[in-house]
Amino acid sequence: MKQFGRIFRFELRGYLTNKVFVGVTALIMLVVAFITFIPRFSGDKDENKPDGADDKKVMIVSVHDDSVSDVMINSFKAAFADYDVQLGSGDVESIKKQIKDEKAECAFVFDTITTYKYYVNNLTMSDTNMASANELVRGVYQILAMIEGGIPEVEAQEIMNVMIEGESVSLGQDQINNFFYTYIMIMALYMVIVLYGQMISTSVAAEKSSRAMELLITSAKPVNMMFGKVFAACLAGFLQLALIFGSAYVFYNINKSYMEDMKFINTAFDIPLELLIYMLVFFVLGFLVYATMYGAVGSTVSKTEDLNTASMPVTFLFVIGFMIVIMAISGSTVDSPLMKVCSFIPFTSPMVMFARIAMSTVPVTEIAVSIAVLVVSVFVIGVFSARIYRVGVLMYGSVLKPADILKLAKKQ
Amino acid sequence: MKLQFKEIFKSFGEKKVLKGISFTAESGMAFGILGRNGAGKTTSIRILMNVFAADSGEVLLDGKKLDYSNLKIGYLPEERGLYPKKKIAEQLWYFAELKGMNHSDAVKAVDYWLERLGMTEYRDKKLEVLSKGNQQKIQLITAIVHDPQIIVLDEPFSGLDPVNAMLLEDTVKEEISKGKIVLFSSHQMNYIEEFCEQIAILNDGQIAISGNIRDIKRSYKRDKLVLRSDDKEKIIKDLGNICSLYENDSLMITLPEPEQKKEMMSKLVSEYDIDEIRVFEPTLNDIFVEYTGGEKEEDKK
Repeated sequence: MKQFGRIFRFELRGYLTNKVFVGVTALIMLVVAFITFIPRFSGDKDENKPDGADDKKVMIVSVHDDSVSDVMINSFKAAFADYDVQLGSGDVESIKKQIKDEKAECAFVFDTITTYKYYVNNLTMSDTNMASANELVRGVYQILAMIEGGIPEVEAQEIMNVMIEGESVSLGQDQINNFFYTYIMIMALYMVIVLYGQMISTSVAAEKSSRAMELLITSAKPVNMMFGKVFAACLAGFLQLALIFGSAYVFYNINKSYMEDMKFINTAFDIPLELLIYMLVFFVLGFLVYATMYGAVGSTVSKTEDLNTASMPVTFLFVIGFMIVIMAISGSTVDSPLMKVCSFIPFTSPMVMFARIAMSTVPVTEIAVSIAVLVVSVFVIGVFSARIYRVGVLMYGSVLKPADILKLAKKQ
Repeated sequence: MKLQFKEIFKSFGEKKVLKGISFTAESGMAFGILGRNGAGKTTSIRILMNVFAADSGEVLLDGKKLDYSNLKIGYLPEERGLYPKKKIAEQLWYFAELKGMNHSDAVKAVDYWLERLGMTEYRDKKLEVLSKGNQQKIQLITAIVHDPQIIVLDEPFSGLDPVNAMLLEDTVKEEISKGKIVLFSSHQMNYIEEFCEQIAILNDGQIAISGNIRDIKRSYKRDKLVLRSDDKEKIIKDLGNICSLYENDSLMITLPEPEQKKEMMSKLVSEYDIDEIRVFEPTLNDIFVEYTGGEKEEDKK
């Protein structure tokens, strides 16, 4: 225990005095501060922005029938507020010339009330003018048809503009509001586990390739070394997350009043305490599952260059879990059968179960079972990884194949 | 104290690495373990250090099984390596504390040894800024800082300049005189000859020969004379094919029988101008090559 404590402190100190670790954490905190302070300083500017009426782009609308041109022009003016809508002459050539000479941006030339040609210099991907025009022309056509059928114009307008009022009442989780912070937390889990997992395997491989291992292995028990490293990394990762999220929370509260109309940001900080606790639980358990595996992987290579190849299977496993979660929360299918199964598999459950808790209503028994499975797996995987580590650290030479590793670990 | 290896067997998978190793090292004198690469030296050392257990056989200290919770062993591995990017004092404390010292004792002991080896100025520097020889000295500190009862030194002299080698020699001699058991493994035979009274030569997982160096040397037939003389050509001409040229411009005379040694020596001294004449004794190097290099040739036959 004393030895474990010494290794734990040595490794933790290694992280906390690492310039890259400190630098990256400080940098992220600065970026967060910068982002949260933007609305404070940019808010006033928006109001003072000059009204751009003078340099509005010109849109020409040319209508075949004078009797509808007033209705049409007014509808276009209402729909394209950011354009200076002008009535065209009907002479197609002169309209084309105006566009070519950049005196006008675009033009709608109607042959009948339902057919037109849209002229523009360069048709861009983001050009949605035609879609908007189709909508409004259909409205104009419908109103005209209703007037023709004897319905008074005012009534026809009312029919077309009837307002529907609906309100959603969510009895479980509000996925729209939860989406943003769930996404952020899943990303944080993913980043921390992958980054620290690889840091652990790099640290083990570096000890091996610098041959410090020769001395370590004769000075300390492999199990102590493995878990000292893993727990130190876990605490370092947690500290880093806490610093980043904590600073984000503080900066957000300082600038809260400037962000009232930014719904996304406000919902992102509206995380229930319960969920934070779940995040902590799944972070620690998920971290331990993967960190011990990464540690074992690190022990099987002789050179740090071989590490990427060797750690691929572990990283792959983790990325699959991540993809499943991201697809599920983006597609609002957090309770799909796949997600349910994955929330009990220790390799995917930290992220999957967390996503389900955040975005859906999961029975307490399922959560308990998932956590229980994870706790048992942490123990089993930890012991197994320590065995691989014990054998691996003394092996030099070629990269071991997974089958060889399993054989060696079994024999112990 | 007496450290005893008793019939140690160890295999890794199909490969039999140790096939019944037995030897005894005593405190107050250095014990040399010799052997070619892959002979089983490191495996023997690792069994002693409890990195893994032997398949069968045991290691005894004064007749009792080793109690690792109470036993302190210092180890200078052949493959040197510490943390290049960490401060020297910091990692020395770390290793000392891993071996069971508390922090304040570790600090004191590290300061003592840094001073002793003239490394105090590097205390707070990173290891990677040191020259290879100085890194070696730091590594040596990790092996002795916790005042171990047993010290295992694997190739301690490789890469040291003569001054540092002497410093290390003094340190090792001092540890030996303190009554510690010192196991010494090296390919530099001159150092083994200088330090070790007892040796064991390992070959292919077995002890090829072990015992007191002087006894081993004396066990060879004393039928060769080595001499230096200005009358070399004349001697060759007179004695014929029992003469052969030997290293350093000297001559070797191989006698048909060891008993003729005395007669031949007095004859040579009286008849020729002899600068130096002695009975040939094999060097440790010769013995080593004979026991470890010869094996293969025998196999071929």
